[in-house]
Amino acid sequence: MTRILRPIEALGEFGYFVWDCLQYTVRYGVRWDRVMLETYRVGVRAFPILMVMTVFVGSNVAIQGYTAFSTLGAGNMVGMFVSMAGIREICPLLAGVMVAAKTGTEMTAQLAVMRTREQIDALEVMAVNPYAELVTPGFLAICIALPLLTMIGLVVSLASAWLVAVGQLGVSPGEYNDYVWSNITTIDLVNAMVKALVFGMLIATISGFFGFFSERGAKGIGRATNRAVVSMCVTCICADYLLTAAFYG
Amino acid sequence: MTTMEPIIRIENVRKTFGDLVVLEDLTLDVETGKTTVIMGPSGVGKSVFLKLLVGLLQPDAGQVWVTGVDVAQARERELRKVRMRLGMLFQDGALFDSMTVGDNVAFPLRRHTKMKPPEIQQVVAERLQRVGLPGIEHKMPGELSGGMRRRVGLARAIVLDPEIVLFDEPTSGLDPITSDQIDNLIAEMKVALGITFVVISHDIVGSFRIADRIGMLYNGRLIAFGTPDEVRHSADPTLRRFLGRNLALPPLESLPEGS
Repeated sequence: MTRILRPIEALGEFGYFVWDCLQYTVRYGVRWDRVMLETYRVGVRAFPILMVMTVFVGSNVAIQGYTAFSTLGAGNMVGMFVSMAGIREICPLLAGVMVAAKTGTEMTAQLAVMRTREQIDALEVMAVNPYAELVTPGFLAICIALPLLTMIGLVVSLASAWLVAVGQLGVSPGEYNDYVWSNITTIDLVNAMVKALVFGMLIATISGFFGFFSERGAKGIGRATNRAVVSMCVTCICADYLLTAAFYG
Repeated sequence: MTTMEPIIRIENVRKTFGDLVVLEDLTLDVETGKTTVIMGPSGVGKSVFLKLLVGLLQPDAGQVWVTGVDVAQARERELRKVRMRLGMLFQDGALFDSMTVGDNVAFPLRRHTKMKPPEIQQVVAERLQRVGLPGIEHKMPGELSGGMRRRVGLARAIVLDPEIVLFDEPTSGLDPITSDQIDNLIAEMKVALGITFVVISHDIVGSFRIADRIGMLYNGRLIAFGTPDEVRHSADPTLRRFLGRNLALPPLESLPEGS
């Protein structure tokens, strides 16, 4: 019975945590200097790996799209496939997973270490609210950085797909560009940003929750980080489906 | 509250974790300007006692009055006010690893005062000087030894001139010389600053050196509380077994009846 109730209990605790973060952010305000610093860190740290991943994912999508469309005699339509897949699915999700793996796990581990070393208790005793001090800046930073990373990732994946489609597969550059631009709509861009924002909110709150309430000691830190990364990936993919169904279903 | 009244009053406090009773019917007063040491074996609830005082834990029953406020019932704003009037030294200093020593000590000043950077710098330097570590503002906590970390933690705990400073095992895990330095520091500061100190410790010799009042927690209950001399002359068998390992106690037969 306890095993069945535990996830429900954890969900309730998560809800309380999010509520506490919100109310203390409103009550104690936002330290924007910290938010800007954190945003810079999130963006700069995830940027190089995201670039490498989007270059290769863009190239792979171009090859797969060209191969599939060629069987129908429409290999030159690869630009449409690349742009739609990139903007609607791949780039927001890839950026989300990247930030979860890089920044989310770091945030969890950092908070868990602070919990273990009594630094969070020390903040409370110094009459400084730990939610507003530790969680809010990271939350806002991820929510700002992730949509930006998604857009940069989209540009890079389209460029890498262009290189592969035009340079390797022999697609005409004009046709590639036409199919790309005619299939990217403002609604798609907004939807991609919304997806990235939702992923950012999930990543920030989940990583904060597991770090904040980590068990003490090395084992506790390891478990918290592990649970956080699994939860972030699963919830992002679930949220991706729900958002895709809502936007395009 | 007059100065004659206790600055901390604990009344009939009970604290459990699941089925485990950690504190049972705990009642004690901490006098203003005095050093009160609570001793006891490991796992007896000493840290829980300290966390109840600062509102990090809530008792299941009873009241915890600190500077006239029941911290167990206090609203967040009241609790913040109480916390502004006390400092706490955690077991390993609880310094923020990502900040320099100077930034660690300056942290409460930056959050709670409108001091300008040069003033903050001056106060930080003075506090570090007071704990015997002048000129280490630029160092990172990772570069410090255990004893230095605790002294920096102490500098941070006293930076807002608190009325009460709480110590969680200040000498645990330190070598005897460093432990002596910390004990001397506590004794010096009591004289120089007139602060009320509450120390939890299982260092018997050090506790008897710095304490005005000593309490002994055992099985969740306060089995002794009094001046060091009164506690030394107690006939309680558990207390004598605990103290006897490190302290020369008067023979049992020499104690008056009812000790």
